[in-house]
Amino acid sequence: MGSILAINDLRYSYSAGKRRYEVLRGITLEVKKGEVFGFIGPNGAGKTTTIKHILGIIPDKNKSVSVLGFSPSQSSSRTRIGYMPENAVYYGFLSPVELLEMYGEICSVDRSLIRERTRKLIDMVGLSRQANKPLNTFSKGMMQKVSFAQALINDPEFLVLDEPTGGLDPIARKNMRKVISDLRAAGKTVFFSSHELSEVELVADRIGVIDKGKIVAMGNVAELLGGKLTGQTLENYFLQLIGEQE
Amino acid sequence: MRQISAMIRVTVKELLRKKDFYVILFLMPVFLGFMASQSFFGVEDSYRYVIDMGYSLAIFFSVVLAVIISARQMPSELESKTIYPLLAKPISRRMVIVSKFFGGLFASIVSFSAFYAVFIFFYVVSGPVGNYLPLVQSYILGVLLMALVCSLSVFLTTFLTLSAGVTLAFIFYATSVNLSSQFRDLYVFSKGAWAVVYGVLYYIFPHFEFYDVRSRIVHAWEPLTLVLMCSITLYTFLFSAFLVTLSGEIFRRRGL
Repeated sequence: MGSILAINDLRYSYSAGKRRYEVLRGITLEVKKGEVFGFIGPNGAGKTTTIKHILGIIPDKNKSVSVLGFSPSQSSSRTRIGYMPENAVYYGFLSPVELLEMYGEICSVDRSLIRERTRKLIDMVGLSRQANKPLNTFSKGMMQKVSFAQALINDPEFLVLDEPTGGLDPIARKNMRKVISDLRAAGKTVFFSSHELSEVELVADRIGVIDKGKIVAMGNVAELLGGKLTGQTLENYFLQLIGEQE
Repeated sequence: MRQISAMIRVTVKELLRKKDFYVILFLMPVFLGFMASQSFFGVEDSYRYVIDMGYSLAIFFSVVLAVIISARQMPSELESKTIYPLLAKPISRRMVIVSKFFGGLFASIVSFSAFYAVFIFFYVVSGPVGNYLPLVQSYILGVLLMALVCSLSVFLTTFLTLSAGVTLAFIFYATSVNLSSQFRDLYVFSKGAWAVVYGVLYYIFPHFEFYDVRSRIVHAWEPLTLVLMCSITLYTFLFSAFLVTLSGEIFRRRGL
């Protein structure tokens, strides 16, 4: 299987006043085609900063990141990437249909396909009845669904989801898990960060644990738990691991 | 091109779906209707006053909306974090700035056209109708003015907060309209180092007064020559392109 995402010794720091903060201290990971990769870590560990590098939002000066064989700073390479941000806030005066159509246009999707995909995606996330209502009337959970739909408007090969289940009710979470599984079945590659360890455990093929800007563990659930699948949970493992780092 | 047109549509929808535009569009005929009613009291040539006020209000309200619409484009994207899903799409930072400029410009042209239509209505019903050419020229100059105002507002908000950007844009506009001739006199009549200082200030300052042809409409003067119209168009194009390019460069280097 080819590699969709390759990160090799990614480092990032910034200065605030006289202090210098090291956010990423040599992240190395690889996500293979068709894989669902869960990226977990405590608040401030560097998950979102890593995602910003993957998307080219933070310039990768050392060329440590390769997405679909390209540097993320090349905007054209992003036609094959979908991204769902952690805080789903969009233009409140637009409806989900208008928002998806706008993103479809920005991704240069064929106009006839935009309409078809918009309808399908809105059905998929269960917002058909609210398809033409302004987004500023939507709840957080509904906005998450719109956010997920916009990430798929360009039928991406590689999906980056930042906290995709945050703000969703249990039924919507279950649906989201099913959609991620369906995407994997359709050959898509998914990279997602989450605080919901039980979600990650259920969906991810492999998991990377980040703490203080470093990958501290990586592998599938069985590997991480040392073959002790009964009794041990990912949450307990995570707490032990992060506790050891403190 | 599709990226720019998609962003333009969003900005125009924002204008049409928020109240600001309609409030001003309602206020303008109320003001002008009140002023037009004063002509019933026998003041000679009072229609010129209505025309003057109508033109001034159309320009003033359009500039206010143009500044507000354009200035809030980038800060609102950054504040609400809608910039992240946008930049995750195949669009460069420079293109985002260009799209925001054109979005603000088209929305401003829509609002200016509406206000100008109200002015034209009062112009036609207030008194004798003169030459139409200055009216056409003033519409074209109004559109060009919107381009300059929008580019300045987008430029200022790439490195300032929304409120600071809006305030500074208004200060630039008011200073340029009211004090430009004084700047020119200082430049022309001063000598030595001061002449250089005033010269630099005069030429780097955006000249919003170029677009004001109120006197030609109110007093039915001759229209501007074609050469002058072309010069102002070229000036607008160069100044706006410079500001938008600079904004793109600032935003490209900005940490997010």
